[in-house]
Amino acid sequence: MNGEEVGRLLHAYVDGELDPAKSLELEAYLAGNPAAREACDRLRGISGAIREKADYHAAPAPLAARLRASLPAVPDEINRRAAWPGRLKLAASFAAAILVTWFAAIGYLRPDGDERIAQEALASHLRATLVNRLAEVASSDQHTVKPWLSARLTFSPPVMDLSAHGFELVGGRLDYIAGRPVAALVYKRRQHMIDVFVWPGQAAAGERTFARDGFNVTGFARDGMLFWMVSDLNQNELHDLSRLMAGNGRAP
Amino acid sequence: MSERKRKFEQLVLPHVDAAYNLARWLTRNDHDAEDVVQEAVLRAYRYFDGLRGEARPWLLAIVRNSCITWLQVNRPVELAAFDDNDLRHDALNEDGPEAHVARNVDRRMLNEAIAALPAQFREVLILRELEDLSYKEIARIAAVPMGTVMSRLARARRLLAASLRAISNASGAQVRG
Repeated sequence: MNGEEVGRLLHAYVDGELDPAKSLELEAYLAGNPAAREACDRLRGISGAIREKADYHAAPAPLAARLRASLPAVPDEINRRAAWPGRLKLAASFAAAILVTWFAAIGYLRPDGDERIAQEALASHLRATLVNRLAEVASSDQHTVKPWLSARLTFSPPVMDLSAHGFELVGGRLDYIAGRPVAALVYKRRQHMIDVFVWPGQAAAGERTFARDGFNVTGFARDGMLFWMVSDLNQNELHDLSRLMAGNGRAP
Repeated sequence: MSERKRKFEQLVLPHVDAAYNLARWLTRNDHDAEDVVQEAVLRAYRYFDGLRGEARPWLLAIVRNSCITWLQVNRPVELAAFDDNDLRHDALNEDGPEAHVARNVDRRMLNEAIAALPAQFREVLILRELEDLSYKEIARIAAVPMGTVMSRLARARRLLAASLRAISNASGAQVRG
């Protein structure tokens, strides 16, 4: 990240409009850059001062009463019909302009659907890695991990022993993705940690794969459960894991 | 009372404060703000069938259009040639030691400084900071792309910081703290 990019993203960050992955990246930059941190504080200062001290002009009481009284019982039909085509055209061109620029210029703001889940999964993975708390229950025994998770969630995630395939179970934890508590299973392959987030749900599409900032994210559904895995492991090996899990622990 | 009128009163009229706040900040006086809101609310009532989703941003979009029309007629200079391409994304700025001036600024100065901002900056600032709307909602209200909302907001805050700094340097008194 360079200074210009930071300057551009800082406002979105302070406004809570930056996606989680980009936020983390920015936070990492701020941690090592006192000047940028100060700029961030200044921004919060300005924003806070406006919220706290700028006048909020509430409508004078007589205005509200007058408005209520002035509403005609039946709307002006003729006016309405005559006004529509022009307004529609205007609205359509505004909408088109907004859409085009939106998709073209700012892909990193508020993405939708699977991509947003992938970003949330990545952010959760990074956060857990940063504070070194990937596993709240640390065990390579699936029969320890599964009950621990089931006891704390409203569903029972499938926990598989995949050590025969080179994926060692490290443990599990609770996390929060897509607006709900989810199970996070932690596997390890060589030195690569893999988070597998699991929660009940149906996928709209087949397997989805995203690559971001050197991490791979893969999502799929099986038996009414959604699986999202995140790791710095290469795409092929992560794909092996997803096929193993989709096949309930058996190599396809 | 007709069903339509009852629904309008229930869904839209609770947001008259937000409507007035925006109109008051854009017209910068009570009398005109009342006129603009009155006109906008009647228009909203007429197009009430077109309401999809949340009423507050929908109403604010109508109020905002009424304000712009009002400005075009009554304060054309304020809307004078304004090019968003000029808003090169501001790099991290080096504001100097009195940077925390915003925290200590006095209420009246802050209000004056906001009122002195160009209308295009003022509107995004008010919608963001006082109405707490998302970039997406602001983009729809101001009929500009989200990227433009972001760059206008950035510039608005920067201009505001600069003018507050200038004010307190001139008065020399407000910076301590």
